Amino acid sequence: MLDPFLAWLESTSLSVWIVESPSLLAFPGILTLHAIGMGFAVGINAALDLRILGVAPGVPVGEMRRFVPVLWFGFWLNAVSGVLLLIGYPTKALTNPLFYLKLALIAVGMVLFVRISRRVFRDGVELDTLEPEASHRLRRLAIVSIMCWSGAIFAGRFLAYTYTRLTQSQTY
Amino acid sequence: MHAIQVWLVKSIYAHSPVADLMHTHWAWPIAESFHFLGLCLLVGCVGTFDLRLLGLGRRVPIAAVHRLIPWGLLGFAINITSGSMFLLTEPDQYIYNPSFHLKLLFMTIGGLNAATFYLTSYRRVFSANASLDAPTHAKVIAAISLTAWMAVIVGGRLLTFFRPGECIGEQTALLLTCVP
Repeated sequence: MLDPFLAWLESTSLSVWIVESPSLLAFPGILTLHAIGMGFAVGINAALDLRILGVAPGVPVGEMRRFVPVLWFGFWLNAVSGVLLLIGYPTKALTNPLFYLKLALIAVGMVLFVRISRRVFRDGVELDTLEPEASHRLRRLAIVSIMCWSGAIFAGRFLAYTYTRLTQSQTY
Repeated sequence: MHAIQVWLVKSIYAHSPVADLMHTHWAWPIAESFHFLGLCLLVGCVGTFDLRLLGLGRRVPIAAVHRLIPWGLLGFAINITSGSMFLLTEPDQYIYNPSFHLKLLFMTIGGLNAATFYLTSYRRVFSANASLDAPTHAKVIAAISLTAWMAVIVGGRLLTFFRPGECIGEQTALLLTCVP
């Protein structure tokens, strides 16, 4: 049922350009933006998680808010570049279960980010005055967040090695 | 330089300590995944510090944000380790790759730039009565740092698109960018 749609998507001029253009701005450039966006989105998430886990104790956790726009910049850069990569090779991604695992891990990672943000930015929680129980909960969120982002990275990298079909016209 | 490149490739192929390990199933993608994790730690921690020097989160003392740097260095160490494993397994794919040459160039710039920071700005930025606003030279260093590490990512990500082919004819450039 999906195949005719994927065949159509792969025949669009955008998809053909992404895959076949010899320009470095096409597939290689999009892939590069995806790596840079990852660095900012996952990197700032990791810095926030590390702060919650006790790293850089002199930084008031609420002040980490200033760096959140950089995280969102990375996130949207990767949403856009990711969609472009998907338009380039829709069959390759959508026929691989690992792709859905990657998306799920990113979704959970972002939900955790929003929950952590609410606690430390909106509610203005300070880490050293937090009740032990609440502190444990927040630390747990940070640890699961790190695990989700690491998992998403592993899943993303393994996509290149585990696909069974590259395009509608080719099989691997 | 050509002779050095050829010698490097030859000796690595002859003595590589990790090639057998890296040729096992999944070793390569696992090492790549760690390379990406290290990248995120480096960008997240060093990048946050650079952005702080440039004026983001101005109310936080610079020295406090600097405590993230060891984690950025951990990311860097992860990447030197995993990166060396690639290099020591397929040396010709890197040593003759122009994208790798640029990556090394920008890593050197990033490294020398960081050294410059500790040699010139350390005392002014970290003294007890340091201003919350970093001095201009520290901001320039931060901007160079962000740019250099971005360029390192670009050079790394483009490696596969500049895989060296067999050399054809006389090579006159400073560095070999094909397999002799």
